[in-house]
Amino acid sequence: MAEAVKEKILAVATITCTIDGQQITVPKGTSVFYAARQIGIVIPAFCNHDKLKPVGACRMCYVEIEKMPKLQVSCATTATDGMVVSTNSQQVREGRKAVIEFTLINHPLDCPTCDKGGECDLQDLTFSHGYDDSRFGFNKMRFIEEEKRDTFDDLKIGPEIVLNRNRCILCYKCVRANKEAFGEYDIGAFERGDLTEINATPGGEVSNPFSGNLVEICPVGALTNSDWRYKIRVWLTKTVPSICNFSGSGTNITFYKEDHKNFVYRVTARCNDAIDDGWLSDITRYGYQIVNSESRLKTPLIKKGGKQVKASWDQALAVIKKHMGEIKDQSGGVCIGGLISPSLDNASLYSFSKLFRTIFKSNNIDFRGDYRYLPSVTDSPFTIAASQPFSIADIEKSDVIITFGTDLIREHHNEYLKIRRAVNFFEATAYSVNPYAVKTADIAKSEMVYSPGTDELVINGICLAAIEKKLVDSSAAAKLKPKISKLSLSELTKQTGLGKEQFKELAEAISSAKKITFIVGEIVARSLERDKICAALSNLNKLFGVQDKGQLAVLSRYANSKGAQKLGLSATPYEIVKAELKKIWGEYPDCQPRNTDSMINLMKKEEIKGFITVGTNPMRLYPDRGFASEGLEHVDFLVACDMFETETTELADVVLPLCSWAEYDGDYINLEGKVQTGKQAIKPKYEAKAAFEIMELIASQSGVKLFENEQSRNEEIEQLLSLNSVLPWPDDFLEIDYDKKSSRDDYPVPLFICDDPHHSGHLTEKSPSLLNFSDSAYVELSKGMAAKIGVADGEPVRVESPVGKIVVPAKISRVLNSDVAIIPRNFSSTQTTSLLMRKKRVDSVKLTRVEE
Amino acid sequence: MILSEKTVKKINDKLSKYPKAKGMILPALTLAYKQLGYVDNEIYIEISEIINVPQLEIAEAASFYTMFPKKPRGKYLLQVCNNISCALLGADAMVDRLEEKLAIKRGETTDDGLFTLISVECLGSCCTAPMIQINDDFHENLTRQKLDELLEGLKNGK
Ligand code: SF4
Ligand code: FES
Ligand code: FES
Repeated sequence: MAEAVKEKILAVATITCTIDGQQITVPKGTSVFYAARQIGIVIPAFCNHDKLKPVGACRMCYVEIEKMPKLQVSCATTATDGMVVSTNSQQVREGRKAVIEFTLINHPLDCPTCDKGGECDLQDLTFSHGYDDSRFGFNKMRFIEEEKRDTFDDLKIGPEIVLNRNRCILCYKCVRANKEAFGEYDIGAFERGDLTEINATPGGEVSNPFSGNLVEICPVGALTNSDWRYKIRVWLTKTVPSICNFSGSGTNITFYKEDHKNFVYRVTARCNDAIDDGWLSDITRYGYQIVNSESRLKTPLIKKGGKQVKASWDQALAVIKKHMGEIKDQSGGVCIGGLISPSLDNASLYSFSKLFRTIFKSNNIDFRGDYRYLPSVTDSPFTIAASQPFSIADIEKSDVIITFGTDLIREHHNEYLKIRRAVNFFEATAYSVNPYAVKTADIAKSEMVYSPGTDELVINGICLAAIEKKLVDSSAAAKLKPKISKLSLSELTKQTGLGKEQFKELAEAISSAKKITFIVGEIVARSLERDKICAALSNLNKLFGVQDKGQLAVLSRYANSKGAQKLGLSATPYEIVKAELKKIWGEYPDCQPRNTDSMINLMKKEEIKGFITVGTNPMRLYPDRGFASEGLEHVDFLVACDMFETETTELADVVLPLCSWAEYDGDYINLEGKVQTGKQAIKPKYEAKAAFEIMELIASQSGVKLFENEQSRNEEIEQLLSLNSVLPWPDDFLEIDYDKKSSRDDYPVPLFICDDPHHSGHLTEKSPSLLNFSDSAYVELSKGMAAKIGVADGEPVRVESPVGKIVVPAKISRVLNSDVAIIPRNFSSTQTTSLLMRKKRVDSVKLTRVEE
Repeated sequence: MILSEKTVKKINDKLSKYPKAKGMILPALTLAYKQLGYVDNEIYIEISEIINVPQLEIAEAASFYTMFPKKPRGKYLLQVCNNISCALLGADAMVDRLEEKLAIKRGETTDDGLFTLISVECLGSCCTAPMIQINDDFHENLTRQKLDELLEGLKNGK
């Protein structure tokens, strides 16, 4: 069935028609509109959108088709064999004029005060296709809402969206995109006839994590966003093509900037079908505001008498030279460590690695400041799983999609939308398998919620079910069975909370899939047992031959996590990368590799005395705040580079202001392994510098150059990137040992720390728009859980773990359906990670109502 | 809960008859309307929870249909057609007469809660214009006198 539909759309059969005298052959099912586009004929349109289903609401796309008595809407008319179409006949031109005249009957014609002026489809098409007058002399119908009235009948319908219903031409693009593409239900069309209006759901506001797109696709000035409106006219800005820095996908964006003010005014989509379909998450759209933030670090700071004071770059570098020099001379470079953000560009990451490994001769570097305790093992199952190839475009070509251990709307907005598209447009079947109910579930055929901390058992269960049902090759089954059957299927059922039927359903789905996408996410990646889970995945992959008919990978979370892996930024790089580095540098430190966790441990033992953080904030993000702060406070000499003052920079002896990604050209590798360039939009603000410059400056203090010049640096990077960095899975099935789940009754509720759907990491709280959506921490609970502790939405809850305690308001979830607690990590006002213990597989807490 | 147990049960009973829960929006609204004589946002939320369809979709559908009054209305809903045929044959005068007799304007409800007066588009009874629909019944070929009699009858509980 799914295949049949896909064939229709992806098309084998073709038809041939004639458009404006030209013959064209297109896949069967193509609309006249798109057939025309293929030969370069652009038919004017308002309501058609490349990524939505046609509705034929605006009538602007009229064409004349031979043998049809009236004009037809080309967007909703399928081209057929022998059809003869003309897109620009006298009749068509008149038809268009009439449509424009009709569309403008109640339109206020307030272009001079409308913020859309200059980029308004209605304005443009009226100029090119309309009359310069109207025959409708009567009063225009006006929407006015007295109490909420702002200017020009504006109505604020969401944290960032302003609606002017008088300008709306009812193309329904906003409502359709929201429902069809985002699965959100906070904006709708109400009433009918000339009273029809777009508005927020009664009693609600338009605040979904993709809401900014609605403004961007509105063809008129009916939807505008407070971020951009009335700040500048669009023709006074220049555009710069770039990419998003907050996601692993590297969604393509356009910066709108103004050079005299050296200011970025907004970000819009730059549709790249291979990646993003032209939809941006609000984080991507509004996150750029951090670039302009007044609270950015403006100059270097150095600690004097216990206080940080402003300093010049030279002064700051001199202090670094002195202290790092002392540490190196007295204790050796192995006593220096560093942590860098995987959101930085290749040049910065590579320079960091080279600084440590060739100048400090230290192997103490890492880029994962928010993953709990990672054992230092090279090419471990997790590393292998994270190195697997993945193609975003293949998601919608898959007939079966399984998301495992990933809360996509908090981790991978772009893939979240891609999966929705695969299901809604291409009839894929999705399965959501997670330790708590997630938002993707509404499109999933089955949602399976397993008990937290049993991830690998779920995978074993799928394998055993397949073996039992004889869905897989019997010799492979015979090999795997002894390795995982310590627990029988029914025991696994007990442990994981999933039913036998569910295991079978998944096993059947995987084995019957023609093309499969199996996505593994942050819930697995951040787990203490990530290696064990990925070992189980390795078995599953082998047993079902998943990768032979599709893809299976742990998705990289940050803008350049992939780059960090490929360039060897972990303490234990891939073996091939390590070998290559040795070749390039002619040396490689042979001291013990230390990752974030062991570095913090060594800080406490005073074996790491100097530490450099770049663009990362372990004090907030390390999943054990007590542990991280004890370590960092012990460090003799801490250098912190960041865009903002953070919990980490506060402790630092030297603070260096870091450039945002909008202030220099940088290459980033997205989760597919695609290298894309983030283009410089504006000059560095204040005295900020890019990380690669800072690394070079620090190196120069020791009298050395990291690189001869930019070109030689890029060549070294190229050399590393040209390696095949997909690690092979182990040849054999792996034994998965099983440790009994220990749950402590006094802390009964599993806790998950993640990103708010409107935030990412520690930087986005500097974006005023994103704060308008969500500005402080909360604990998200299911209805049932909230009832158990007797709290209503918004009431304060005390969240206690064995090591910490916070009080945050409850947020009753529409999605969760089990006893778990979810708390965002994005707000400095709540020390969320103080609840976590680094060596715990699943953190758990006690929840109590706070009595007033 | 504003919806009575009986209404909820009726909605639940019908739900299984529809292949997609969305199909249940109008029947559910109708059942709610039958109980209450109106529907509003609180009702949409309640229905949304029962049939598991987003509140938005229910609100959109309800707003489209003028047949669902959006606030509590009088015991008798007087809907006077004001479309072409009726208008030509004196619908306006009928509404004026009702406004005068009931001392309310279009869209209002009398203080005793007995009558709500609205004018509506074509009710499909053009050949018997002018006409009025009172709750579920049509009254056709109206004249001033007929209207007065109707009104008296209703006032006296007939
Ligand atoms: S608000 Fe804009 S996008 Fe939405 S229906 Fe109106 S014109 Fe179309
Ligand atoms: S674009 Fe075809 S009807 Fe609107
Ligand atoms: S015009 Fe009144 S019923 Fe049709």
